[in-house]
Amino acid sequence: MEFTLLFLAASLVMLVAWRGSRGLALGLYGAVMVACVATYLHHATDTLKLSF
Amino acid sequence: MTQARAITLNALSLYAVALVLAAAFAAQLVLHELPCPLCLLQRILFAMLAIGPILNIRFGPRPSHYALSLLTAVAGAVASTRQVLLHIMPGDLGYGSALLGYHYYTWALIGFVAAIVLLAAALLFDRQFEDDSAALPPTGGLFAQAAVWLVIGLTSLNAVSTLVECGFGACADNPVVYELLKRFS
Repeated sequence: MEFTLLFLAASLVMLVAWRGSRGLALGLYGAVMVACVATYLHHATDTLKLSF
Repeated sequence: MTQARAITLNALSLYAVALVLAAAFAAQLVLHELPCPLCLLQRILFAMLAIGPILNIRFGPRPSHYALSLLTAVAGAVASTRQVLLHIMPGDLGYGSALLGYHYYTWALIGFVAAIVLLAAALLFDRQFEDDSAALPPTGGLFAQAAVWLVIGLTSLNAVSTLVECGFGACADNPVVYELLKRFS
């Protein structure tokens, strides 16, 4: 569900960037990027099987 | 590089993003390979790459708009690098099928690194930041407008496709069926 919301949010930011104000688009972009990073950290839980 | 030429290049970059999103869609529908959570995140970050060019077309090129795309490309490179490292051990067949010898997440890493290099190269041209809006059609002309709506449309389609794939719960780590279709069948 979180990925559906992120795609919707990305579409919304694009629409605001195209039709709305620049400041709002920049703010929304920041919020969506924070959500993307949080989603990444939530899913990046598997240990990397690497050896050096 | 003049402002008008920069806007044309930004429109071309939107078509490139649209091509990536369409190719991912085609692979999903033709090969029946459902994207994993990390794959979906990489798609979202590819879509987010488009916000900088859209702002450049609408408000004129600015370094801050390129910075948005650079930040997104770095985040995308981190996500795709992680997926490459998850499958890097000998004997690991990787996730999904390969295209020209590389899996999609490897192509994603190449794409994000290429975006970083191209964005840095675009920032080298200072003349684009001088205001010559009198010579510029509003919102970049039909070529640029079509590119913007194409990317917005493909991103919205991805939202629908992800809803059908994951349903209203958390996406499966290794999805094999469309959850929403399973629920209503």
